[in-house]
Amino acid sequence: MLSYLSDSKPTPEALLHRMTDRIRQSLELSEILSATATEVRTFLKTDRVKLYRFEPDGSGEVVAESVQGQKLPSLLGHRFPAEDIPQEARELFLITRQRHIVNVAEQEIGISPLLHAQTQQPLNPDIWFRSVDPCHVEYLTNMGVQSSLVVPVLHDQTLWGLLVAHHTTPRRIRPRQLEVVQLVADQVSVALSHALLLSQSRRQAQYEAAANRVITLLHHTPTPALQPALDETVKALQGIGGRLYLPLPQLGTRNQLLITGQQPDPLVPKATSQRVSSGGSAGARSPTVQPLEQHQAWQSWLLNEAPTRPGERLWAIHNLADSQAPPWLKSLLQSQGIGGILVAQLFYHNQHLGYLTVFRQALNVETIWAGRLDSSDPRQQRPRQSFDTWRELKRDQTQPWTTDNIDLAHTLTHHVAQVIYQNRLYGQIQTLNTELEGRVLQRTQELEQANADLTREIQERESTLQQLHIAQDSLKRLSHQNELILESAGEGICGLNFQGEITFVNLAATQILGYAKEAMLGQFMHQLIAPKTSDDLSYEWEHSPIFKTLKHGSHNRGSGEHFRTQQGEYFPVEYISSPIEDGGHISGAVLIFKDITERQMIERLKDEFISVVSHELRTPLTSIRTALGLLAHDNLDVSENKRRRMMEIAFSNTNRLVRLVNDILDIERIKLGKVTLKRQTYDLAKLIDQAVDEMRAIADKKEIYITISSVSVELWVDPDRIIQTLANLLSNAIKFSPRRSVVKVEANLEPKTEKPHPESVLIAVHDQGKGIPEDKLEAIFDQFEQLNVLDDEHQGGTGLGLAICRSIVEKHSGKIWAESILNQGSTFFFTLPIYKIAHDQ
Amino acid sequence: MTNKRILIIDDEADIREATQMCLEITGKWDVIVASSGYEGLIKAAEEKPDAILLDIMMPGMDGLATMAKLRENSDTARIPIILLTAKAQSSEQRQFSQLDIAALITKPYDPYSLSDQISEVLAR
Repeated sequence: MLSYLSDSKPTPEALLHRMTDRIRQSLELSEILSATATEVRTFLKTDRVKLYRFEPDGSGEVVAESVQGQKLPSLLGHRFPAEDIPQEARELFLITRQRHIVNVAEQEIGISPLLHAQTQQPLNPDIWFRSVDPCHVEYLTNMGVQSSLVVPVLHDQTLWGLLVAHHTTPRRIRPRQLEVVQLVADQVSVALSHALLLSQSRRQAQYEAAANRVITLLHHTPTPALQPALDETVKALQGIGGRLYLPLPQLGTRNQLLITGQQPDPLVPKATSQRVSSGGSAGARSPTVQPLEQHQAWQSWLLNEAPTRPGERLWAIHNLADSQAPPWLKSLLQSQGIGGILVAQLFYHNQHLGYLTVFRQALNVETIWAGRLDSSDPRQQRPRQSFDTWRELKRDQTQPWTTDNIDLAHTLTHHVAQVIYQNRLYGQIQTLNTELEGRVLQRTQELEQANADLTREIQERESTLQQLHIAQDSLKRLSHQNELILESAGEGICGLNFQGEITFVNLAATQILGYAKEAMLGQFMHQLIAPKTSDDLSYEWEHSPIFKTLKHGSHNRGSGEHFRTQQGEYFPVEYISSPIEDGGHISGAVLIFKDITERQMIERLKDEFISVVSHELRTPLTSIRTALGLLAHDNLDVSENKRRRMMEIAFSNTNRLVRLVNDILDIERIKLGKVTLKRQTYDLAKLIDQAVDEMRAIADKKEIYITISSVSVELWVDPDRIIQTLANLLSNAIKFSPRRSVVKVEANLEPKTEKPHPESVLIAVHDQGKGIPEDKLEAIFDQFEQLNVLDDEHQGGTGLGLAICRSIVEKHSGKIWAESILNQGSTFFFTLPIYKIAHDQ
Repeated sequence: MTNKRILIIDDEADIREATQMCLEITGKWDVIVASSGYEGLIKAAEEKPDAILLDIMMPGMDGLATMAKLRENSDTARIPIILLTAKAQSSEQRQFSQLDIAALITKPYDPYSLSDQISEVLAR
């Protein structure tokens, strides 16, 4: 009862040609499959042709169909469970590429493998008939099918699906028809390859375009457009939301979280998320706003969750429910309709940079099943009785992450990580630059400050130096002054060190001791001066007052001692040694000494003077006392003559004493400057006249004639003193003149021989006495110097007359001297300057 | 018994005269005077006085030189010499006291004390 399909028009070749043409016309798989179904049904003239595609789980779905009339129902879109076509059958379809032709009415099945099951060698395409499995018969019967043809469609070495032709009446398939259908199936395989390749290419292109967009955005300058890049990434990965979490490495900086689309509630219950947190304060239970990625739980979850590809840090989780994520996280995400999640850790150059997360929507998937397997049916092993359509709804299903998705995610993650790393690096460089600039600026400011400080310091130092110079100058001046003082000091001054060696010596010391300064410095003082006591005894250094000064710091005086000069001569000294104290200890001594030779001489002179004065006073006193002593005696028994003579001696000596005392006082007063000249303008001639008048009486006694020859000139003098001088000279002249001789007084203007003095007058008193020995001419002007007078007529001069004269003349800026020729006479001269205006005292 | 004779050697005329009067009145001695050392040496040798009053400070040959000459001459060497000095300073007196003299009398002297001193010298 099998009816052969009409082989009349069109011919199989033409048909095949048309079919392949139609297949080739379209690149869209659905169209190809639909065309295939139509063309094959038309060719075989069957009631229904369908293309059945296997799912990886073995179940299948009718993806294309062509139905003729109402004899068989449409099964398009219907799923059939895996059990419908057992595993062994599917394997035979693949390995031997066998075709089935079932004739339900005859309970037979025609099997036509194309390849040998073991060798995979092509076989002669015959059809082997055998009886069909009753279950199979029943299955087809229940489906309302009496005749079926099944040809496997392979793609890429896998069983893609089946090309199935059903007919409601039994019919026979001829080998020629089978061959044509097989060719069609082969064409479908090719078309499948093309279409899949195309779709893959399209997808690839889409992904690449998406990746390019993202990369372009990432490389947006000056800063990467992270938000649009995230948006694009999520879109490219068909997500409903996504986030980019970038914890910033520096402390105190805010973490960056970019979000797009659907997001979980940012409020994370703290108590749930951070169980590890210690303490039980109420605050610990309050929700915190914290990025998910920052939670410990997130990181520990990813540690537990196996990465999608080993060695990569990417987790593509199709269904959250199946993941290792903590329940609170799952519910947090699922509550927002998130079913799938893809997490990629951003990692670049060994640095963890953050996370890129994409969410996929949880979907309710509806599947249309052809017939229902009732698992409770005891006839479980029996073929299905019903192929009634029913719909299965699966909730919270997610579109799985495909390899392409994962590749894309991987690529994008890499780019994002790279950009973020670079950006961060750039930021760090920027920061470093800024810091560097800041430091440079700060350093510059510091340098400027330092420079200013330095300048100020230099100025201060210069000022200090200047002050120092000034101080040094004044010190030098002071030092020079001190040196001058020391050098000008009349006393010898020696500085000694602690060993008694000379460290300083002044000019006077060198002069007194007769050494050059250099010859003294460094010498041992004691050895150099070899001191002797007043008793002319040398003594040791240890007994020296200087040694005592150095040892005990005492001030010691030495008097009456003698020091030795460079020439080896000793001279009397008076000295004092004082310690030099430096910081509480004695570092040396100062020896101040003076040559007292002159002073001793003066003292001697003074002694002599006193002796002479004493003698001069005692001489008249002796006569007076003797005379008066005798007169005063009660029992004096002498003649009246003698008595008178005693009185005369006493009286004359009293006069002499008075003169002496007057002269002594006078000369002392003149010498001490206590006599003020009472100068007035006075005529010289008058002065001479008055002096001569005074002496006239004495001269007359000796019958001495006094001649006067004087110029009349006005002098600026003390007249009393000049008269005293003239009287003194006249007195001497008379005293030493023989009786009846002449004493001449002459006064003349001196020629201008002595400049710069003005004109002066020269006064001369000439006598005709015995004259004065030449060696006495000067000495007679000394005090108490008297000529050896053996003459009884000696008047008893005081020996002070000429000394007084010299004093008076010199007070008047004049000169006095004597000239004499023995046995002819002497002349005493003196000069007086002629002052018109007084400028001397 | 003849009177003791005293030679006065002094350059001061008034002193010679006053002293002479003094010695004649108080001691009743015979007095010889000389106005210089030189004259004194001659008179001492001629008269061989019992004592000599010798003034130290005289022009020309002074008292000390005169005394030395007197000591040189055997005729006068043993005559006691009484030195008269107007120098009052102790250092000078110390100097004279070391000499071989009978007495040192300082001018101005009390005439009666002088007489007593001479008497004492003469009594030795």
